[in-house]
Amino acid sequence: MSKIIYFTKQSWLLIVASFVFGLIIAVTNSALSQRIESNQTKKLFDLMGQLISGSERFSREYENVTVKTAAGKEIKTDIYKAVDSESKTTGYAFIAEGSGFADKIKLVIALDAKAEKFLGFKVLSSNETPGFGSKISEAYFSNQFIGAPAAILELTKIGSPEKIDNQIVAISGATVSSQAVADIFNTYIDTVRDKLTKGRDK
Amino acid sequence: MTKISNISKLSETFSAGLWKENPVLRLLLGMCPTLAVTAAVKPALTMSVCVIFVLTCSNIVVSLMRNLLKPHLRILMFTLTIATFVTIADLFLKAFMPEMSTKLGPYIPLIIVNCIIIGRAEACASKNGIMISIVDALGMGLGFTIALCTLASVRELLSTGKIFEFIVMPKFFVPWAAMSMPVGAFVTLGLILGLMNVITRKNA
Repeated sequence: MSKIIYFTKQSWLLIVASFVFGLIIAVTNSALSQRIESNQTKKLFDLMGQLISGSERFSREYENVTVKTAAGKEIKTDIYKAVDSESKTTGYAFIAEGSGFADKIKLVIALDAKAEKFLGFKVLSSNETPGFGSKISEAYFSNQFIGAPAAILELTKIGSPEKIDNQIVAISGATVSSQAVADIFNTYIDTVRDKLTKGRDK
Repeated sequence: MTKISNISKLSETFSAGLWKENPVLRLLLGMCPTLAVTAAVKPALTMSVCVIFVLTCSNIVVSLMRNLLKPHLRILMFTLTIATFVTIADLFLKAFMPEMSTKLGPYIPLIIVNCIIIGRAEACASKNGIMISIVDALGMGLGFTIALCTLASVRELLSTGKIFEFIVMPKFFVPWAAMSMPVGAFVTLGLILGLMNVITRKNA
């Protein structure tokens, strides 16, 4: 009994403080969580809107689509559908991730309404080397993906970036980052295209 | 008489953080944010504002409960207090400055283990009254801000030719990409520390 009294005497401030601080954090969190969530979806929809022109609204079409990476790991992603003001489908978009040169790269990839062509990609988050790998978001590299066939892409070091096909010309000095972007596309495309085309047949 | 000595003590505490005991440039505390978020002025300034907020709040709370602290539990109490305010700052950033929040990434939660804040709680707030603690927090926080912004403006200028995202360098200037990478942080910090030593040695 005397031990319990001793422990309480020593630690009452800690216990009280934990409850008070916990309460403060809980109140702040509940006040701000809605805003934080809407910020994230807004950023995602903004990027999707830039990729899929003419789209008005976005909705989640397929949830938790499982994709297998080259290393055999399974990742889950959601596929979003974009529709224009007459509720005609303008395209599909999904979040894709894979390892880059320094850190994970997260992209938003868009497909056209028939799931036959890519509509390009935007970088959601990346930590590539400034001046080299960070160039993956620049137009001369990312424009190669706009209109490219929705199939396995191949990275080359020579060729014309203006020619739109499944050959992607790497950024000189940033081969690893360029390869990473192509790999992310390749990891996802088969599963996502199958899902979209099968969904249409039904 | 006591009022005058009080004011002089307060101003002494405040100015100590700016130069004589500048947390970054003299005490070499808080090196993690100093090296990590100074690639540009904007993130450095955001980081500094967060540190000032956390430092002031934690100093106030620690100073208020300084007579209740048990010696062997004090570090635990400091960390708990700091973690609370850091979480609040992190939530506010996520809600109102989402882009800056992703840019700063893990470095905002890492303020919890920033030695400046725990050091001030131990060295000042747990021994002094609330007024001194607040002034000390503001002085130290401002010293941290000055150090970070100096470092960040040098690095941003040389790596992009801009300061605070305004172009200031002439057109023929070729940006040094290395300055926005870790190597730029170490080199700039080393040069600034060397400069500080030269100045203090001349004054001594």
